[in-house]
Amino acid sequence: MASTIHLEEKTLSSTIAQLNAPLAQASALRSSDELAVALAPTPTSNTQPQRLADFETLTAALEYAATGETGYNFYDARGNLRSVLPYRALRHNARAQARRLAGLGMTRGDRVALIADTTPEFVELFYACRYAGLVPFAMPVPVNLGSHAVYVQQLRGMLESGQAAAALANLDYVGFLAEAAAGSERLKWVGTPEQLGERPATQVELLENHPDEVAYLQFTSGSTRAPRGVIITERALMSNLQGIVRNGLEIGPGDRSASWLPFYHDMGLVGMVMAPMVAQVSVDYLATRDFAIRPLQWLRLISRNRATVAFSQPFGLKLCTLRVRDSDLEELDLSCWRAAGVGAEMIRPDTLRNFAEKFAPAGFDVRAFLPCYGLAESTLAVTFSKVGHGFDSLRVDAGTLVDKKMAVRLQVEGRKYSEFVNCGRPLPGHIVKVVDEAGQAVPDLRVGSVLVHGNSIMAGYFNNPEDSQRSLLPGNWLDTGDLGFIFEGDLYVTGRRTDVIIVNGRNIRAQDIEELAEQQPEVRTREASAFGITDTSDVTTIVLVIECRLTSAADRQSLISRLQRQVYMAFGVNCLVELVPPHTLPRTSSGKLSRFAARQGFIQRTNLTDQLSAESGDK
Amino acid sequence: MASDYEDVLQKLCHHLRQLSPSDADITPRTDLIEQLAIDSVKLLNLVMEIEDEFDISVPINALADVQTVDELTNLILRIRSEAR
Repeated sequence: MASTIHLEEKTLSSTIAQLNAPLAQASALRSSDELAVALAPTPTSNTQPQRLADFETLTAALEYAATGETGYNFYDARGNLRSVLPYRALRHNARAQARRLAGLGMTRGDRVALIADTTPEFVELFYACRYAGLVPFAMPVPVNLGSHAVYVQQLRGMLESGQAAAALANLDYVGFLAEAAAGSERLKWVGTPEQLGERPATQVELLENHPDEVAYLQFTSGSTRAPRGVIITERALMSNLQGIVRNGLEIGPGDRSASWLPFYHDMGLVGMVMAPMVAQVSVDYLATRDFAIRPLQWLRLISRNRATVAFSQPFGLKLCTLRVRDSDLEELDLSCWRAAGVGAEMIRPDTLRNFAEKFAPAGFDVRAFLPCYGLAESTLAVTFSKVGHGFDSLRVDAGTLVDKKMAVRLQVEGRKYSEFVNCGRPLPGHIVKVVDEAGQAVPDLRVGSVLVHGNSIMAGYFNNPEDSQRSLLPGNWLDTGDLGFIFEGDLYVTGRRTDVIIVNGRNIRAQDIEELAEQQPEVRTREASAFGITDTSDVTTIVLVIECRLTSAADRQSLISRLQRQVYMAFGVNCLVELVPPHTLPRTSSGKLSRFAARQGFIQRTNLTDQLSAESGDK
Repeated sequence: MASDYEDVLQKLCHHLRQLSPSDADITPRTDLIEQLAIDSVKLLNLVMEIEDEFDISVPINALADVQTVDELTNLILRIRSEAR
């Protein structure tokens, strides 16, 4: 994880210079802690009056934040502070990089692709793009064994879909990026932040942005075939950020954040990079990889730096519950943590209860849980529960839920139930409604599609009118693709429509898995169906059902192994492959496969009904 | 050098056997994904154990080119020699 910055631009040289030790040096110094001693994180309390996101644009917010003392701090896997980037230095470095970007021959509004490792260089470049009037988009880092080829393909898909004019990655990833960029006619420049730093700065004036301009694109899935970039304007962004810091989190002067969320994910980028900055709040970062390997480090950061706001996907909470040893609890004091935001995937109440039980001895207050609901297509946040009140849930009869799409509150104990977490109410300026298949609003407790209306809604998917039209319904209602019901004004999400499978917090499109399968010579188009099954302990497994004409056991086994390998390399998960005779998979009248029916069929064939958690699926 | 390799391989196999219990022998040619079913969650455990066992930091980008036990062993050896 080499991290280096263009040193000639530094203002706070004493702090920043030290961060830039390349990998070899950093690991050599690791055991001695010399680096960490020399650095101090940015303070929690600030010298300027706090302004809660009342800015028209992102750069206007940074101009103000730069007049205070707060900023971003980056920690390594061992919990040592590696880099400090006060907002003042961020502004300075971002403006300097903006002047260099301006010399690459791009025009205003051109896209710049950035591989988003958890580093100061990434955030500098992200803001640099905005200062230069360019539109950044974040791309993921590779995470799976043996995924080299698939990862390059994934990058290429995003570079093409986002029509990037320039692309940057740090030294660790620039090789992958160069491979993905090979042969591109649109890309004017590919390199590292350091290489950009060596270029001459142009003496252009950095113009203010307009609220109607596009602020950034957000890619929503790691799809290799058809990645989609959500277009978010400055207006949508600032509207959402204001809702988050004022209404969702009720941010005040004593707040501080700690985050491991990836910078290429909307919750990480909008929620934990931009939202703190527009409220001049300091943040302590841990790389996602380092959290995933040692989740305790995140809790240590919260405890040590007295963080008050920290978000996680339920999966991250589970990792903490599973992997942190009881003996580690003694050193933790989590009583400062007042807003433990949970979102980005279905929230199971047991995940929260288990976490609370495990960490109560370390001072964790169950009232800190803050379930929320959102999606990249609405910038980030849609609903928040009431901060400081903990989580609420509703137990409903499982049978009625599946058969009648009705949430009937459980009257008698002993019946099979599903329990859903209350995700709260929409942010000001937003409306949530639940509709049936005909698009008509349904009464309370009826399950249907969740639609959102409001200022934070995307302008569409970049260069993809078909998908934009499918998601943005007449009257500018966003079809979220999620299912849920409303009860007493609060939203309860009950499931995802069958086109997306969520495994370990990652969204995987069923279609991507099916297309992967169809690339095998033995599999014909429309003869593969992918869906997820979730057992009662909330573990989701991907199932791939293939209509197959092969008769030899060896050939069948070879196909199964190949499919499992392909899915693994693309998505990092194991999957279950079932080969069935031709014409087994149910089709709709138009000849399309029905994933819902395929899933029902699979469950019947395998007799799994009792071991699965009840979900309301669509047809 | 050869004994270094054997030493790393042996320690690595010990962790792999605990992570993915199976009757099959683990050899340098064993495929981590296909034969040992190392999924992304198991991979995190494996990386943590490797980092603790060998006192190294495994850069995540390097794993993209690892598919077999042999490749992982060589990666560990390379990181170790670079850190010295």
